[in-house]
Amino acid sequence: MSLEEKVLDIMRETFEVDNVSADISQKNCERWDSLRHLTLASELEDAFDIELEPEEIAEMTDFSRVIAMLQSKL
Amino acid sequence: MTTFVFRNQTVEAFLGYDGMTYSGYADISQVPADVDRYIWFYQVPVNPDSAQLAQEIDSYRDQLEIVLGQADNTKPFIIFSLVDLFNLRLTGDDTAVADAISAFNDHTSRLADSMPQVKWVDFSEFTSAYNAETLVNWKYYLMSQTLLNPKLSHDFQAWWKRIENQLLLRRKKCLVLDLDNTLWGGILGEDGVDGIQLGGDYPGKAYSLWQHALLQLSHNGVILALCSKNNESDVDEVWQHNPNMVLKREHFGALRINWQDKATNMRELSEDLNIGLDSMVFVDDNPAERELIKQMLPEVEVPDFPSKPYELMPFFKGLMEKYFRIHTITREDKAKTEQYQANAKRRAEQSRFADLESYLYSLDMQLDVIPADEHNMARIAQMTQKTNQFNLTTRRYSESELRQFIDQGWRIYCVSVSDRFGDSGITGAIIMQPVDDITLNIDSLLLSCRILGKGIEDAFVKTVLNLMRLDGYRKLTADYLPTAKNGQTADFYDRIGMTSDAASSDGAKHYTMALEGVFDINNCYNIRVL
Repeated sequence: MSLEEKVLDIMRETFEVDNVSADISQKNCERWDSLRHLTLASELEDAFDIELEPEEIAEMTDFSRVIAMLQSKL
Repeated sequence: MTTFVFRNQTVEAFLGYDGMTYSGYADISQVPADVDRYIWFYQVPVNPDSAQLAQEIDSYRDQLEIVLGQADNTKPFIIFSLVDLFNLRLTGDDTAVADAISAFNDHTSRLADSMPQVKWVDFSEFTSAYNAETLVNWKYYLMSQTLLNPKLSHDFQAWWKRIENQLLLRRKKCLVLDLDNTLWGGILGEDGVDGIQLGGDYPGKAYSLWQHALLQLSHNGVILALCSKNNESDVDEVWQHNPNMVLKREHFGALRINWQDKATNMRELSEDLNIGLDSMVFVDDNPAERELIKQMLPEVEVPDFPSKPYELMPFFKGLMEKYFRIHTITREDKAKTEQYQANAKRRAEQSRFADLESYLYSLDMQLDVIPADEHNMARIAQMTQKTNQFNLTTRRYSESELRQFIDQGWRIYCVSVSDRFGDSGITGAIIMQPVDDITLNIDSLLLSCRILGKGIEDAFVKTVLNLMRLDGYRKLTADYLPTAKNGQTADFYDRIGMTSDAASSDGAKHYTMALEGVFDINNCYNIRVL
């Protein structure tokens, strides 16, 4: 499974929505609120065995930024 | 189901979003009534000033008091205990915070005794499995107001699901145990009565502790049964001559000590005890026996057995949490093993009498027909949850649902049965909904399988219907809804004289009856209406 697919899976699960596509962002997804944002960060840390700093978590506001952040860590 | 959560931290990641509404942080200004249940899940806040923190914790009791006064007391109210997740003591003897926490926990656990809707959940049972570093994640606390580490959310959800099942009384009824290398170490047939490992030093000590634990389980209403390949006379010798055998013959509701295959034995035990195979848990050290049961009787729960005797206590704890624990044990539950044994005695007596009638007379049966009230509501709800065989409609109700029915004018009665062999306690219930001034619908009718075979169902229903006639009801409707287990009740209403429309394709039947005359009741019962 590619990195992108894995992240989409985690987002589907965290936001409890059926369809998540690569254009998802905090702006266009109602479920991606500030609480679930932290759950997402925590799930990503576990799934990829990385640590995200609070500043980095704050920057991950859409799918492409999440991917870019992960790529810089892996 | 909708739940309203009172909280002082961000707990959404743990309790979830679906159907949940959360209060503001430590906000008790809103106490909604239109929810199905309430949860109180506060955390100990972070505050380095311990005197101030203790005061804040003390204030939670007052907050809770106010909320309980306003909440709908027919809805379950679940209170989590407080746990100090980050114990910051500047001096070793500063116990102010610890004292405040234990005062809160003492107070709230006692509330459950006086307020039937309150259920107390010991949160430390979850947190104690983790060390201090794992429990708290400061990064997430400072970003989001949740001290409890969000990485534990999956573990928490699994634990919480188990607790919810306990609150809903979904538990097994019977634990079936093997003997050799299960209740004692070694093999009786080879090692002899004095050669088996039981009591004394390890490993015998491990087995006697495990037996002590099992004995407590039986005192709390779980039926123990034996299923062992042995000569019964050898096992009798253990009971007579080995003082370390904690579990005596009388602690088992039924036993099969023989050389027959265990699947057949399990089926017979289930018939003997009159409980379904899906209410049974099979414990055996032999993987081949476990596999046989798994293959032949998939309804039976078959946990893996530990390979080392010192793992028996954690194994016991797991059994208890997974299958047997509930939050409130009723008095009837505690007496259950005795009742199952008394049944066996009654069956032995039965063969001595030429006809059933004279046997029934000889029992001196006392039936108390009691309207539902605060003392028996928990038991009636529990029976609707657990009774499968003699249950005409198999509708499951909680205590609070029953209370609502009563508020809406429904008529609910239960029956308590005793005879010269013992007291079976409350073992049957009927739930009736008024349709109009003269018409009553029997919504639910159920009797515990422990008391069947003595015509009690007949006497109970006829007594209640005679009462209803005196109250002015003239017409009765009722349903039989078939399940995999309640086949024996398919013709019950026909037998008491009701007539059914044509049965539908799934076997369900709808009955009607005019309540005109008085039902005759066999006078082998002493019936009291309380």
